[in-house]
Amino acid sequence: MDSPAANAAFAKQINIKFPLLSDMNKKMLTAYGILKGHDVQGDTYEWAQRANIVIDKNGVVQHIEEGDSAVNPNNALSVCTDLHKKQSAK
Amino acid sequence: MKKILAAALVLSAIPAATLLSSAIQQEKVAKVSLKVGDTAPDFTLLSDQWKPVKLSDYKGKKNVLLAVYVLAFTGG
Repeated sequence: MDSPAANAAFAKQINIKFPLLSDMNKKMLTAYGILKGHDVQGDTYEWAQRANIVIDKNGVVQHIEEGDSAVNPNNALSVCTDLHKKQSAK
Repeated sequence: MKKILAAALVLSAIPAATLLSSAIQQEKVAKVSLKVGDTAPDFTLLSDQWKPVKLSDYKGKKNVLLAVYVLAFTGG
């Protein structure tokens, strides 16, 4: 998990305009079931899988991608765009 | 004295073993437990500006895209 300081350096480097969050105690990752155990030379370490999750304005999960398919954010982005269009049409 | 020390060591070994086995179990069921249609659990996390960001702050205002990006600021 990256600390807020590491995230700040990263955000500055690639000019990010949205908040980069740190889950240092893995609370959110645990609640969302994203942590995965990995065996490394006889020891087990836990770190997060890649995941893209879209949550609508009502707090309801609309889209989940995990693992390799979550490397590309375009699917999740198009879900967001569709949601926005639907909400604007109402 | 040695006996007491040995007993203490065994006791401390038990939680360690329990932790390890639960981690291994998690590897077997490594799936995002959340499903589409579920209410997203609320969380408060520190941003890169050291400000707390709460999921529920966006409720009724914005859709949220959470991208879990592992080891973002590393060369690997």
